[in-house]
Amino acid sequence: MAVIVKTFASASEAAGALSSDRGARYLGGGTLVMRALNEGDVSVSTVVRASDQALTRIDASGPRVLLGAGVTFARILAERDLAFLHAPARSIGGPAVRNMGTVGGNLFAPTPYGDFTVALLALEATVAVQGGFGSRDIPIEEFLQARDRQAGTLVLSVSCTRPASSEAFRYRKIARIKPKGGSVITIAAHLPISGGRIAGARIAFGSMAPTQIRARAAERALEGRSLDVGTIAAAASAAGEGTSPADNALGSAWYRREIVGVHLRRLLSGQE
Amino acid sequence: MLELRKDIFADERDDNLKEIGKGTQRQDMLGHVTGTSSYFNDHQLQGMLHLKVVRSTEAHARLRLIDTTEAERSAGVRRIIRGSDVPRNLNTLLSLINFGKDDEPSLAVDKVRYKGEPIVAIVADSEREAFEAIAKVKVDYEPLPAVFDVEDALKPGAPVVNETYPRNTFTYHETYDHQKLRFGDADAALATADHVLEQRYQMSPIEHAPTETNGAIAAPDTNGRYVVYTSTQALFFSVDTCAKILDVPSNTFHFIGGTVGGGFGGKVDTLTEPLAILGAMLTGRPVRYVFGREEEMQYGPPRGAERIYVKDGVMRDGRVVARKIRAYFDSGAYTRLSSYAAVKCAAHLPGPYTIPNVYGDVYCVFTNRTPATAMRGFGVTAMDFAIECQMDKLANLVGMDPMEFRILNAYRDGDMKAHRREAKNTALIECVQVAAEKAKWPIRDEFRRASSRKDGGGSRAVIPPTPTDSHARPPAPAQQRTSYDRLPPTVTREPPRDPPPPAPPPSPRPAAPSHGATRFSSVFGTRRR
Repeated sequence: MAVIVKTFASASEAAGALSSDRGARYLGGGTLVMRALNEGDVSVSTVVRASDQALTRIDASGPRVLLGAGVTFARILAERDLAFLHAPARSIGGPAVRNMGTVGGNLFAPTPYGDFTVALLALEATVAVQGGFGSRDIPIEEFLQARDRQAGTLVLSVSCTRPASSEAFRYRKIARIKPKGGSVITIAAHLPISGGRIAGARIAFGSMAPTQIRARAAERALEGRSLDVGTIAAAASAAGEGTSPADNALGSAWYRREIVGVHLRRLLSGQE
Repeated sequence: MLELRKDIFADERDDNLKEIGKGTQRQDMLGHVTGTSSYFNDHQLQGMLHLKVVRSTEAHARLRLIDTTEAERSAGVRRIIRGSDVPRNLNTLLSLINFGKDDEPSLAVDKVRYKGEPIVAIVADSEREAFEAIAKVKVDYEPLPAVFDVEDALKPGAPVVNETYPRNTFTYHETYDHQKLRFGDADAALATADHVLEQRYQMSPIEHAPTETNGAIAAPDTNGRYVVYTSTQALFFSVDTCAKILDVPSNTFHFIGGTVGGGFGGKVDTLTEPLAILGAMLTGRPVRYVFGREEEMQYGPPRGAERIYVKDGVMRDGRVVARKIRAYFDSGAYTRLSSYAAVKCAAHLPGPYTIPNVYGDVYCVFTNRTPATAMRGFGVTAMDFAIECQMDKLANLVGMDPMEFRILNAYRDGDMKAHRREAKNTALIECVQVAAEKAKWPIRDEFRRASSRKDGGGSRAVIPPTPTDSHARPPAPAQQRTSYDRLPPTVTREPPRDPPPPAPPPSPRPAAPSHGATRFSSVFGTRRR
């Protein structure tokens, strides 16, 4: 049976097509779906696309930043107002992948991919999805926990609050091949400082669990403290708590658990 | 600009040649940079079908049942090919030069020996339909104990990977389980050396990662012939391999190759052509069989992994007096070209150095891993890595500069090599001197004045007394190692439906003219010239 490609003018029509067909998969930039099709994934029988302009919208003028699901990493890198997201966008693939890969697709990228989502998780982004019964906003963490069950919904956009300063948001991807290898570990940290103390620490890891996860133990070690050597050491030693990394060709679970604290310490202490 | 040291290589080149040393445009460059080069996959033939294979999900398992009934009914399926459809479903690449035994089926019959081994081929109207049919093939595996480590594979009681070689080692000259090099008495020299350094070096398999994956398109031609567009990097080798597997004269095929989208040794194994042609024979239609990227990376043959133990004896003055090497080449589940790699490796020992006592044992070992193949200097590169790491460590051990240490130990014209051939046209000393000069690495005058042409031969040309190995050949491990192998060892089990003809394949080589002298070849053994 041939694969059917359906293109819709509006996101809601595309969402309807997705929710009514178990074999339907939404095609963003194609870096995941086309690979699956080329490698013989027969679970995809319908490819759904949408030409809706709203999906490629960027609103970066205010304190709340909105990215349409179809926004590519290349476009993020071209946007001066999105400087805080340049590091995660640049860490994804080569230029060809960044030209095609989208913010929405990245939410579904399995380990060792999905680096941009790690940044969004640390920024506590909100994911706007459209299902068969209308659209709704979901906190990104909740979205990721139920990711496997999101097949029938279409992501419309993600939004997050702009970090107060460039110091407040940090990102680090550990890869074997630089700059575009798959992730051994990806770390993003959002550390708002209030009165010299961290208030609302958010640490997110990629490749440390089946999906991107928050490092709650490390967050607790940071919360309400100043970012000094002792605090960083405490966060680093708590980094592995609650994680469940897996073995893959890039690194073993053991190796990931061993190095996650080292890289978190380097990220928090500003080391290259 | 290429510089040729005429003072060293006086006889090496005719100065009247007009090409070498000059910038010359490659003949295929214009096509490549303008995107007009034609690759095998650029041929879209009318009515072309697509072939995909069902691959083993197990590293080592008996095939209890292969059920294709549902797949046969799947939309667009034109033909399902099983091992029993392959005319000669057992081959080894170097059988074309009478080296090695046929050990690898095109499609697995009663057993799979590595994860990803092809079991059934499906020819369908589209790739998609072939993939859908693959999902409907049911294979009932009876998992067998697997072995993934070269030394574990040699232990008594290890699972037998490939029944053609029940001891998990390639058989050289129908007798030996490894390549052996003996020159002088390495054990005695190690016992009296000032320092002994033993190290273990473990290499990894390396994927060739060609931009163009392995593939072929075969189409029926007039007069019962087949035209084959292929990515092969060894066109005539592939023609003969296909002729053997499909049991037809090689002039049945018109192979068209030429532009290879990255080879490096990864496109000599002729993995896609036989099944593509067989598909065309069975359907009367053009058939295309191309590896996906994952197939290429996961199941395309890599450079084999080697494990190398080097034990060196060195004197305080820096002379290496003994080098003892054990190396294990991981061939994966089948031979392909690793047997030859081990021969090359043994021939390379002990590297470009004059060492009076050399001992080498090089094994080609079968494991339940993806079969390894040729890649850029295979057999030598890994050993060189080990030897040169070792040279740096030895230099450090005796407190010598590593460049000077190499010059001191380098072979020179007239020296006796461990293979009992005189060293000629040696130039390691000069290479090290130039490297030191270019790197502005200071070396002392006496080493700057050293020459490959001076101070060689003499006592260095002597073949030292060499004790023969006292111990007998290790006995063959018991045949009954797994439940699956509890059959009389004389029974040929692979493949049961289609046993290979007992006679060796007709050699494409004409009988060598006899010149009356015997010559030893490490591949063919002792032969009359």
